[in-house]
Amino acid sequence: MTITGTAPQLSDRVLAELTDALGGEYVLTSKTARYNRARVPAPFPVHRWRERVPDLVVMPGSAEEVAEVVRIANAHRIPIVPRDGGTGLTDGAVPERRGIVVDVKRMNDIKEIDLDNRTCTVGTGINMLKLNEVLGTHGLIYPDDPASYPCSLVGGRIGTSGWSLVGSRFGHTRDLVLSFELVLPTGKLIRVGDGGGRKVSKSSSGYQLKHLFMGHQGTLGIATEATLKLYPKPEAEFSPFWAFSDFDSAYRCVGELARAGVATFAGAVLFDEWKVDYLRRDDEAYIPQPADVRALVCAVAYGNDDEVRAGGRRLLRIARDAGARYLGDEISHGDWAARHDRYATPLHGRTLAGQVAPMSWHCEDAAVNYTNLPAVRREWHAIVARLRDKHPIFDDWGMFFYTSADTGVDYLTEIDVGIWEQELDDAAWAAWVDAKRDIAAVALNHGGSISACHGSCREGEVDLVPLELGGGYDVMLQVKKALDPNNIMNPGKYGLQRAYEEAP
Amino acid sequence: MSAYRYDEQHTPPPARQVTDVAVERFEHIFEVDPKLMTVHVAQQLFPNWDTLRIAASRGDHLEWMHRHWATEVVSGQELLDELDAGDGGR
Ligand SMILES: Cc1cc2nc3c(=O)[nH]c(=O)nc-3n(C[C@H](O)[C@H](O)[C@H](O)COP(=O)(O)OP(=O)(O)OC[C@H]3O[C@@H](n4cnc5c(N)ncnc54)[C@H](O)[C@@H]3O)c2cc1C
Repeated sequence: MTITGTAPQLSDRVLAELTDALGGEYVLTSKTARYNRARVPAPFPVHRWRERVPDLVVMPGSAEEVAEVVRIANAHRIPIVPRDGGTGLTDGAVPERRGIVVDVKRMNDIKEIDLDNRTCTVGTGINMLKLNEVLGTHGLIYPDDPASYPCSLVGGRIGTSGWSLVGSRFGHTRDLVLSFELVLPTGKLIRVGDGGGRKVSKSSSGYQLKHLFMGHQGTLGIATEATLKLYPKPEAEFSPFWAFSDFDSAYRCVGELARAGVATFAGAVLFDEWKVDYLRRDDEAYIPQPADVRALVCAVAYGNDDEVRAGGRRLLRIARDAGARYLGDEISHGDWAARHDRYATPLHGRTLAGQVAPMSWHCEDAAVNYTNLPAVRREWHAIVARLRDKHPIFDDWGMFFYTSADTGVDYLTEIDVGIWEQELDDAAWAAWVDAKRDIAAVALNHGGSISACHGSCREGEVDLVPLELGGGYDVMLQVKKALDPNNIMNPGKYGLQRAYEEAP
Repeated sequence: MSAYRYDEQHTPPPARQVTDVAVERFEHIFEVDPKLMTVHVAQQLFPNWDTLRIAASRGDHLEWMHRHWATEVVSGQELLDELDAGDGGR
């Protein structure tokens, strides 16, 4: 039997086996333990919360315990959902078919810091901020810096193939994780990297399995330990913010900054007029800005002091020649330091009448080439405007475009949407799902990818993943079925149940 | 240390309208205009010291984040001044 519909209720026998494997303390059945692991921060119709609640939660303390849990689940055909920080925005850690949530947060130890080879090996339940507090004492840093830096964890970064705010300088999760240990859906423990060797950054040996097991949203196994690449903690940080009176000039400027080839360049961001309007409502830096501030650009550089200063001068000159107005040190320093909280924190939006209403933050993200950004921007805002016309519980919080690489080839393109979750009924939810599908379609029509950052598992965009990947999606189905013959590993995600329903 | 007086703490300074949607009571601390918080959400009342504490701890947090990521923050204004003086950037 494979799992294609709703899972059977867990039997006492399964409970007893799990308790034997982990000890009763780490098998959690209480309502709070289960309901708290039923959702992630992405808004959803809260009146349907009950549909996502797991049967129980386990908190293993070692790879061997994870393997034992997986073997038990596989033997009894029970769905398993890996969960780390629970901050993923594509519902990856949400149990769609009940079963067992494997929360890996207890595996948060630092096992080794190798100062000579500049690596560390950690349990995947560790958070990057906490890790960097320790690494900082050695003058080192692990520069995986999502906006969720204070709360997402290394295993979830692997599960989503995360995107980093300083990725244009240091690479993203896939570049920074050298190798990791993983429990396959059958309970077998393997290690994957760029070839063999725990600390090898480049190998040509065999298939490049590290990439296969990264970004699979917990559908192919559970990462338990990771070996990470470390950098010297930067001597200097530089983060100028500039204002423009129109989007087009800001767009040209961000392109020039990104293409300049400055070695310490860690990223550049462009904020459009909608984002500036949104910031003017609630953000201390932008409330007092004059009306002719219509678009913003920020560039970031990290590295040795002399190199950051030299690169910084070049970036400033490029921006000045492009007509940018420097917003001053206070805003530049403060806004960059606030990069981990400013999108999500307002937790309120505006009704059509301008009244404040409680809203959660949701973002739709795509990977889009530089030359396609203006068109995608127009089409995305139009989609959200139509949605808000019909359902004013949605609010357009603006867009930003953020370099993913050091050459300016493609941008994490994001539209932030406020959603009044408590008012989401089935009709508004259906309209939202349609809008999400339309947003994803625009990214594909412009030669992009549905997601640069979070994954594309949620209702709406997930329908288009086969279209995006073409024949590659068939390979995904075959890989899934080969590695997870009983479909126990996060079933329902990415439409992979198809692998068991029809011959791919 | 000055004495804590309940009335004093619960009487915020008068609001200055800074934009259509925001007011300012303490320097550089902006609030959503209370007129916009009458239908769906109620504005919370904070004693003055708490408002100032929240703003100050926000500043502490941002400072911490700078130090956490790098030893030093480079001033854009300083580099711009160098550029204007004609001694850098190429
Ligand atoms: C305010 C905010 C800002 C964000 N900013 C960014 C950003 O800048 N960049 C970015 O990339 N993301 C961002 N995200 C999304 C999210 O933080 C990332 O996707 C992050 O990588 C998820 O990590 P997590 O530990 O919370 O994982 P979870 O949400 O617990 O899990 C994410 C996925 O990985 C799987 N998984 C979890 N643990 C494991 C494991 N040990 N082995 C295998 N699979 C596993 C889960 O099943 C799930 O599918 C943001 C989220 C929020 C709320």
